Amino acid sequence: MDGQPSGSGEIRLVNVTKTFGDMDAVKSIDLVIPHGSYCCLVGPSGCGKTTILRMIAGHETPTSGEIHIGEQMVVGLKPVQRGTAMMFQSYALFPHLSVLDNVAFYLKMRDVAKAERRQRAREMLERVQLDHLAERMPAMLSGGQQQRVALARALITNPRVLLLDEPLSALDEFLRLRMRGELKSLQNELGITFVHVTHTQPEAIALADMVVVMDHGRIDQADTARHIFSRPATPYVARFMGGQNVLSGIVTETSGGVLAIADASGPTYAASASGTMPAVGTPMSFVVRRDRIALTKGASAAAGEVNAVNGRVIATEYQGTYVKVTLDVASREAFVANIGDDTYFADPLRVGDEVTARWATADVHVLERADTGAAIDPYAEDAA
Amino acid sequence: MSLPSQGRRPWTFYVLSVMFTLFVLFLYGPMFIMFILSFQGPTGGLVFPMRGFSFTWFEALFGQARTGDVGGAFSRSLPLALIVMVLTVLISVTAGFAFRRRFVGSGFLFYTAVASLIVPGLVLSIGILVTARFLGIPARWWFTGLGAHLSWTLPFGLLIMFAILGRLSPSYEEAAYDMGATRWQTVRHVVIPIVFPGMIAVALFGFTLSYDEFPRSWLTVGSLNTLPIEIWTMTTNVTSPALYALGTVTSAISFVAIGLAIGSIAYIQHRRSKRT
Amino acid sequence: MKSNRLLTYLQVTPLFLVLLLFVIVPLALVLIVSFFRYQMLVGLVPDFTFKNYIDLLSNPTSYKLYFSTIKFTLIVLAITGVLGFWVAYFLVFHVRNLLVAIGLFLVCTVPFWTSNIIRMISWRPVLGTEGLINTALLESGLVGEPISWLLFSDFAVIVAYVHLFTLFMIVPIFNAMARIDKALLEAAVDAGATRWGVVWNVVLPLSKTGIALGAVFVVTLVMGDFFVVAVMSGGLSGSATSGIFNDLQFLNYPRAAANAVVLLIIVLLIATAIFRLVDVRKELVR
Repeated sequence: MDGQPSGSGEIRLVNVTKTFGDMDAVKSIDLVIPHGSYCCLVGPSGCGKTTILRMIAGHETPTSGEIHIGEQMVVGLKPVQRGTAMMFQSYALFPHLSVLDNVAFYLKMRDVAKAERRQRAREMLERVQLDHLAERMPAMLSGGQQQRVALARALITNPRVLLLDEPLSALDEFLRLRMRGELKSLQNELGITFVHVTHTQPEAIALADMVVVMDHGRIDQADTARHIFSRPATPYVARFMGGQNVLSGIVTETSGGVLAIADASGPTYAASASGTMPAVGTPMSFVVRRDRIALTKGASAAAGEVNAVNGRVIATEYQGTYVKVTLDVASREAFVANIGDDTYFADPLRVGDEVTARWATADVHVLERADTGAAIDPYAEDAA
Repeated sequence: MSLPSQGRRPWTFYVLSVMFTLFVLFLYGPMFIMFILSFQGPTGGLVFPMRGFSFTWFEALFGQARTGDVGGAFSRSLPLALIVMVLTVLISVTAGFAFRRRFVGSGFLFYTAVASLIVPGLVLSIGILVTARFLGIPARWWFTGLGAHLSWTLPFGLLIMFAILGRLSPSYEEAAYDMGATRWQTVRHVVIPIVFPGMIAVALFGFTLSYDEFPRSWLTVGSLNTLPIEIWTMTTNVTSPALYALGTVTSAISFVAIGLAIGSIAYIQHRRSKRT
Repeated sequence: MKSNRLLTYLQVTPLFLVLLLFVIVPLALVLIVSFFRYQMLVGLVPDFTFKNYIDLLSNPTSYKLYFSTIKFTLIVLAITGVLGFWVAYFLVFHVRNLLVAIGLFLVCTVPFWTSNIIRMISWRPVLGTEGLINTALLESGLVGEPISWLLFSDFAVIVAYVHLFTLFMIVPIFNAMARIDKALLEAAVDAGATRWGVVWNVVLPLSKTGIALGAVFVVTLVMGDFFVVAVMSGGLSGSATSGIFNDLQFLNYPRAAANAVVLLIIVLLIATAIFRLVDVRKELVR
């Protein structure tokens, strides 16, 4: 349609680097986003996620490396030749054009006759249920309406890839949840590739088939939402995505697929190893999900007991379905247990109480990379 | 294609750079030629070639004999410009604050100020002269001239203050009141420091626009000329490089004023950015 | 609350007094005096006569002068508009370093704070028959004798106008352009707009208020000018203000006033027409 590249919306980044001045925004990245998937790029601001999006869109040129969309190597192509459409964070609606003319802009640029482009723009507005506002100026619309117009304007180009730059950040909480659902069902309906940049982890988890966690211009992990959350690859991913306690120690024993890990501050842990067995003496980090922790009152962890730590309650936070209990344990960051509300309120805790946290070896996931112990991770929760 | 703002420089960058360079040359070239020619040797004329290098024409300027009353014109133009500067800052700053609130007649006052900017200087000049006649007072540089200059500088000052105050969030003042500051303390310790660079800009406009004002001054300064009018009469009488020498001197004064203003704004911004 | 309001009025009183005494009353008096009679040796004689206007409108010279002024205005408007637009476009969209852009912008505005008359005079050694251009042309053998129309001509007048007034275009257009969200340009490129398409469809419409504001400045400056035309044309061309100038030489204030009123009306009409075309108010009031 309209002579633009249709077909596969698979995106392949091969060894892509982008340098601004003497700063590397993106450092030799390799990434494959399958056709028709909903991919979220997530990470703190300045991690390079927006730069990747803009390079796919053609608004930045990689310093080196290749970007392929479908069968095409797109570096050097104009944005419009790539079959991508971008939805900007600020929506970038033309303030001097009506809603209808905003949506029809792409058609105007291809010299489509006025009657036809208005007709087609109107149809597109009907799809996003905004045809009644066609003659309004963008400034007269609410945030949610502006976002739909931006969506309509992007979709009228019939893209094989839709690029969304923090599309929900300007909306209030209620609208954000609703639009989140709509984006997901729209992607299902269209079957094209969505690449969505966000700094909000729940948004990524809720939407994405594929989550790409980034830090300092590198990809830490690219995987399904479920794996990213439950089987993070690095301490950074675990902390950034949340819901996990990160613990570290030295491997002291490997036998029968089970690792014994000793923490310098006392406790010993057990974990089932996956893949190759690490050598005795290697530093090792692992995570335990916060909702798989059991608490008992009193510091009862015996010396030598595996997967048990003593701690003192420093905060409790009611979250509706569960209570977040923060403990001060001997390690350098706080330890959190999410206790179901019924269980918790059957025997509530107070700040200062001594407790013991225990968990099953099956709930331990070993990380690929050990905590470096260098600078304190910004996402580590401080033990006050 | 990538946008001009990223990626490799597009060809339009080079075309527009050349155009911009030529424009700057067009803007400054003649002035610098005049500066050079003002150092003509005693036998040199109004055009190249330079016949030696001397300060002859600068000395001739204040010799009074051939060039009219340049010294006297200076002695009026400089104080006038300073008075206009001070009044422009005071009046536009206070009025600027008043305009942040709605008041009856604000629209009328605003449009009158804008009209004052648009009205041809000569028309206003006639009006002020006629007004003086009706009041039975002669035109004098320190009264009618002063008023004519203010009618030109105040609209600029006001528009600059609007731009500055538009960016001043009322929450700064509210925060100061919350912490128990009086209205005066708030102005003194919160508002003035924030808008100070803007006030320097207003002062720059006030000084330079008055110092170089011609069309509105022509009929209103009375029998004793200000500098631009002196230069204007010289263009017809004086056919020596003394004219250029005067141009060099008066431009130098303007450049000093501009340099002081921009320099102090840059200094303040620099100091503030270093502190944070 | 009441003291607040009182304070507000106190704050605007100085501004009001200056505008009243030096803008409102003078303009009103110009209008009144334009209906007065002029008598040799006596001067102003209060009256209510249309004679001054009839004199003016029945004199073919007036039309010639206005025609000449309008011609200059349109030519200068076109040149400063194009120049101002592209200079501002270059500064806002091509210069990537903000500090460099501000620096270059200042380079463009500094002449505004220097003397117009001096800047005009400085063209003499460049354009004159023995000036820089003619010397260069003669020495290179491109011309056999100096080009005489460089100075004291319509050409010289236009050069001076463009030299003096282009920055009145650059500043408002620069301001308007600086406010354009860069994402709008990218969105247009996404939709397939060419470089020229972006300028035409996005940058130009969004700079309209700036262009209009600049145009109002240039129109009023050129139409109200009397010294550039006088000096640079060497008395060969006249302008609308030349008539006023002559009347003033003869102390004929009533006719000068009538002339001024006509000029003012024409200038205000053009300004209003431009403001009608583009709503500049929001630009000014913000």
